[in-house]
Amino acid sequence: MKEKIEVRGLEVRYDGYVALKNINFKIPHPSFLVIMGPNGAGKTTLLKALLGLIPYQGKIEILGKKPKEAREFIGYMPQRDKINTNIPLKVRDVLLMPLLSKRSFGIRKKDIKRAKEALKFVGLQHLWDKDFLSLSGGQQQRVFFARTLAMEPKVIILDEPFSAMDVATKMKVVQFLHRLKNSKTIILVTHDINPLAECTDNVLLLNRVVIAFGRVVDVIKEENIKNLYGAPIPIVKTENVCYLVGSDAHVHT
Amino acid sequence: MFTPNIWVLRGIIAVFLISVVAASAGSFSIFQKSTFFVSGIAHSSLAGAALGIYISLYFFPINPFIMAMIFSVLFAVAIGIASHRKENIEVAIGIMFSFSMSLAILFLAMIKEYASVAWGLIIGDLLLLSSQDLIWMLITVALILLIFFTFRRKILFSIFDPEVAMVQGINPYLYETLLFILIALGVVVLLKGVGAILVYALLIVPAAAAKRIAGSFEGTIIYSFFISLISGLGGIFLSLFTSVVPSAYAGLIATFIYFLSLFRK
Repeated sequence: MKEKIEVRGLEVRYDGYVALKNINFKIPHPSFLVIMGPNGAGKTTLLKALLGLIPYQGKIEILGKKPKEAREFIGYMPQRDKINTNIPLKVRDVLLMPLLSKRSFGIRKKDIKRAKEALKFVGLQHLWDKDFLSLSGGQQQRVFFARTLAMEPKVIILDEPFSAMDVATKMKVVQFLHRLKNSKTIILVTHDINPLAECTDNVLLLNRVVIAFGRVVDVIKEENIKNLYGAPIPIVKTENVCYLVGSDAHVHT
Repeated sequence: MFTPNIWVLRGIIAVFLISVVAASAGSFSIFQKSTFFVSGIAHSSLAGAALGIYISLYFFPINPFIMAMIFSVLFAVAIGIASHRKENIEVAIGIMFSFSMSLAILFLAMIKEYASVAWGLIIGDLLLLSSQDLIWMLITVALILLIFFTFRRKILFSIFDPEVAMVQGINPYLYETLLFILIALGVVVLLKGVGAILVYALLIVPAAAAKRIAGSFEGTIIYSFFISLISGLGGIFLSLFTSVVPSAYAGLIATFIYFLSLFRK
């Protein structure tokens, strides 16, 4: 595995509380990893460690670099509720913000082109001059997704991108991810693996420790799901797909 | 010799400078929801200016403007540190607010025989600015504009989406603190002209009205400038016919414009 993302013996503590313990996994580049777990399982903490935003113990290597050094080729999309909704920005302002922040003055034509292409990729090119705050939650998420793409990252990290999305929008984003997975590594935290089961390469079940990691068909099992959520959730198999009843997962077998 | 036109001209120039501050620091205060911070800063600058006057009277000459600036910037940095440590900012500002106000009362009490000086700090007077006052205001506004134009994009990114800003190599706490310093400098500019009590009227109210009217980032900045300018000039004009200081009228005009903006859907 020449280019890879590898986590070894990762441990994160907050004021003595162990948020993550002995986390180990390795995925190739490009590939698609979905991280699942109950609330408080440390999913966002794991993403923050991958981004070098919090102190940690252990080893994290992203395409041969440490997290802080790797940020130059990482695109990150956090949960939508973390933005300041008091600033009356246009969609173009949001898209161009990371690109413009690297310069004090002027706008480069190539930055505008990149931003417009990214917005077109998510099918919202007609909203370029619209007020960002007037968009629906799902549209805002797609704009953030476009902003992440406009940075032309090799690795994309998404924290619950499907929150506030209706089913149709969710499926559109899944299509975008399908189109990207052969060229970029995507790491995505979600409670809903259902729409992603066909395009993800690996799944990591996390509850402060790794409950299971591997191919979807090897990981989504009643035993693992019970260990993850603390309650048995039946899996129903129909033809070549298995569904988690009461949960959102379905898996091709 | 007293020449009324010179005083009015200085007042008009001061209003122009104050409007620049309202457009830059005022708009960002609204975006960052830092309005309580502005109030706290106004009182810390009052304490600083009062201390400056006390030192000048009894020890050695020092411009109260500089002391106001030092106090305000220290206040801003303290709040920036509190924010970085994820303290409750409102509580931190409240504590610094009461500390500053206590100091201000203490210093003002020590110079109580100069009640008019103290009163001037509290309500200001746009028509009593000296050339030296104006030069200090001009230098401070130049510094504000330098910071604003150089770092506005990083500051905006930091207050809009701090986590992604950090991933992009921007330290959001640093730029948030820089914004606090920017606002602190702006408050000091307004202190001399409109006094500690009415800083809010010409820094926050125009920006709040502008945000409602413009509904866009750039529009808020431009409208803030003009609402502040109209309020300040209107205040000077009305005060020429009465014995009331311009800041009172300016505050009323700005507030009236804000109420009008509420009718905009």
